[in-house]
Amino acid sequence: MAASLHKKILSIACEQVKSAACRTAVSRSIHSSAVCYKNYAARIRVGKGDKPVTYEEALHPHHIGHRKGWLSQHTSNLHGEGGTSDRVVEDVFIRRFMFGTFHGCLANELVIKRRGNMLIICALMLQKLPPQKYYFFIGYTEELLSHFYKCPVKLEIQTLEDKVVYKYL
Amino acid sequence: CSAAKQPSSTVSGNLKSSPACYQFSYSNLSLSATLLSGSEEKIIIPKMKTWNAEAVLQALASTVNRDTTASNYVFQDDSYLTPRTSREFKLYYLSQESGRNAAKYFINTFPRYFQKDFAEPHIPCLMPETLELQIDEVSERALTECIQLRKVKAAVDMFDQLTQMGSPVSLDLTNDLLDLICLYGDQEPAQDVPPEQRTNDMVRQRWQMNNNAERIFNMMPEPNSCSYGALIRGMVKHGSIPKAFIMYNDMLNNQLTADVHTFNALISAAPYLKEKYSEKWDLIIDLLKQMAYQKVKPNVLTFNAVLKALQRCGALGRVQAFPVLNEMKALGIGLSTTLLTPVHINFMCKVLYFRSPEMYIYYITEIILCVGLIFCLDTKDMEQAYKLQSLLDIGENWKLLGDSFHQSVYYGRFFNLLCMMEHVDVVLKWYRELSPSLFYPNSQRMRDLFQALDMDNRLDIIPQIWKDIKRMGHDNNTELVEEMLSLMAREKHKPEVQQSFAECALDVKTLYKQTDYGRVQLNWSASSLIFLHLIPNCLPLFMSINKVPLILGHFLGHLFKLEQNLCFLIYSEYLLKQFLDCIQMNNNSEQLKGIDLCLEFPPPSFFVHESSLTLQVHARRSNTLIETTPHLPNILCWNSSPLFLLQDDLISYHNTYC
Repeated sequence: MAASLHKKILSIACEQVKSAACRTAVSRSIHSSAVCYKNYAARIRVGKGDKPVTYEEALHPHHIGHRKGWLSQHTSNLHGEGGTSDRVVEDVFIRRFMFGTFHGCLANELVIKRRGNMLIICALMLQKLPPQKYYFFIGYTEELLSHFYKCPVKLEIQTLEDKVVYKYL
Repeated sequence: CSAAKQPSSTVSGNLKSSPACYQFSYSNLSLSATLLSGSEEKIIIPKMKTWNAEAVLQALASTVNRDTTASNYVFQDDSYLTPRTSREFKLYYLSQESGRNAAKYFINTFPRYFQKDFAEPHIPCLMPETLELQIDEVSERALTECIQLRKVKAAVDMFDQLTQMGSPVSLDLTNDLLDLICLYGDQEPAQDVPPEQRTNDMVRQRWQMNNNAERIFNMMPEPNSCSYGALIRGMVKHGSIPKAFIMYNDMLNNQLTADVHTFNALISAAPYLKEKYSEKWDLIIDLLKQMAYQKVKPNVLTFNAVLKALQRCGALGRVQAFPVLNEMKALGIGLSTTLLTPVHINFMCKVLYFRSPEMYIYYITEIILCVGLIFCLDTKDMEQAYKLQSLLDIGENWKLLGDSFHQSVYYGRFFNLLCMMEHVDVVLKWYRELSPSLFYPNSQRMRDLFQALDMDNRLDIIPQIWKDIKRMGHDNNTELVEEMLSLMAREKHKPEVQQSFAECALDVKTLYKQTDYGRVQLNWSASSLIFLHLIPNCLPLFMSINKVPLILGHFLGHLFKLEQNLCFLIYSEYLLKQFLDCIQMNNNSEQLKGIDLCLEFPPPSFFVHESSLTLQVHARRSNTLIETTPHLPNILCWNSSPLFLLQDDLISYHNTYC
């Protein structure tokens, strides 16, 4: 009861803030999400010892640059270069897109490289589907993402029999 | 040991050390090694390599050529995803194309998600295509848009609406509309299909009587030469030839001059109008004369049309083609290969090759190569064939090979010629270069290859070729497999070669047993005798390989099953003897298991009894009698036939050991 009342007040307050903001022609609205703790992101917790885990998953984010490489390679993070946030958003979309298109076939995280104006998506796949189906998806993905991002998109696929297990946690 | 290790680390760690130092560490190593091991093993120091001044450049240059181990660039570089046969090649290529078409469908159906244009400069091919009409009103602009979007019916309706409203449509626009209608024959344009995906059942539309084009034409107050031209070309394209010529005459009566495109259309239609060869040729000459009279300059397409037309003129055409080509050469016109189909090229090749080899060479760059190669094949001319092949490396000539089917035909013929004419080393070099990156040899080509190997006595390579055959999926081709086995079994070779042959034969054997879903199982046939030939030569070797006696026993058992063929039986008896001889030489349980399998199937009734004796003798001699007693019931049934009764033998055996 109290919670719903709180919610109501919060929503009314939000609306007022929004409308106030609109009146001054600078629009900013409150964006809220679930809490994302930094000490939980991309970290795998030790369990009973029966869960197979790949090298990528097993190493925690502070190992990036020491024992792990980067999954996304572009020059926007260099001094004087722009478009960082755009690249990040593109990467997120590409990862979700590939995860959905090649559902159940991805063996590991994608590696996204940007060379010149080309976008190269390197993926490790499992040999779950017959090759002609892979080629159908590859043609579809390349064409769709090229039109979406207005740049040539190439896929480089390597197939494996099984996921490569680094350890069991 | 650690003392020995130290010098080696200096050697490996210090690559830039001077040669003197290098030598010193190694000698140190050899000394300590001798001290430790006490043996006199000499460590051979390799000679220092001297590199050519251009070695780096040469190494880099070797990477620039086509990679002969890689498949086509459209495929992914992964062994699971690389096509191994031509069927897989086509399948994977077409599935990738269909994926692209699916994506294009989504992009054109939901263009609002792909409109954001942040490419600098603008890339038009990556924007969604606007296939829908944007302009709603009835106006000339709308008509122009319809024409651009190739919407035939909508354009005609728009035109009718405009004329009904009373606003006259300009002459140019009317001409455009006529062009559109005539191009598509008053039907909606078919979906744009690339050459690879085109099937043979795309039928040409027929020209209908009194269709929209004629109606609009008749409505026009003053048709000009463009209008006439559009109509004539449309009629020729869609098969209504006499009307086209009537229209042409009309045009001449109105003192209008036709342009070069119209003439091209008329020339290509000329053979369909008349029956006799001479009349056809006269008509073509007539048209050409009129062209000259109206001062219309012929272009490449004109000559193409003339040559195409000459094809239908039979023998007369062949005679006349020659001066036509001379004329073309004089005018400096090349041939437009995209318009000539292989049949036309075939015709031209015939003309050129036999009449004038020099001309042939002049045009050689522009003739589709697979057809040119036919003549090399007929005349066994390797030099020409090599010239043709080298031409493929120049510029854009690889496009002349056409689609994958024509490409495979060309390379197949080239390889055939090579196998016939050249030494086996050259053949093998080309084989490594061409397959599997450029073409997938079919079973006929593999047989050619075997013949070439046979001619030059390089049969030792057969096991490697067998691996390729398996990879390409020709291993279910009985004749090919049997030919290979017969080549292997024909004569005795060196022991290592025999060893490899034996392993290869065993591999083949497994194919006879496999009953995988989707695989064609090789049948035991009378010609499998060839396989039997192999065994005597290799039998001693077979025995040394593990598990072989087992397999052989099973094999022989199978032989006993096939009672139909007499030769089989006699031969199998011979084999059994050999088999048993070998067994007697080496004596272990594996062989006994082999015998076990042999005896699973009782031999046919008139099997000579000596072998059964041998078996018994062996059973008696060996110490492992307990294993051999299961044989007894079988031996009994063997000997139940009235032809051979060895009762005493049997009874004594039975009494002693059971």
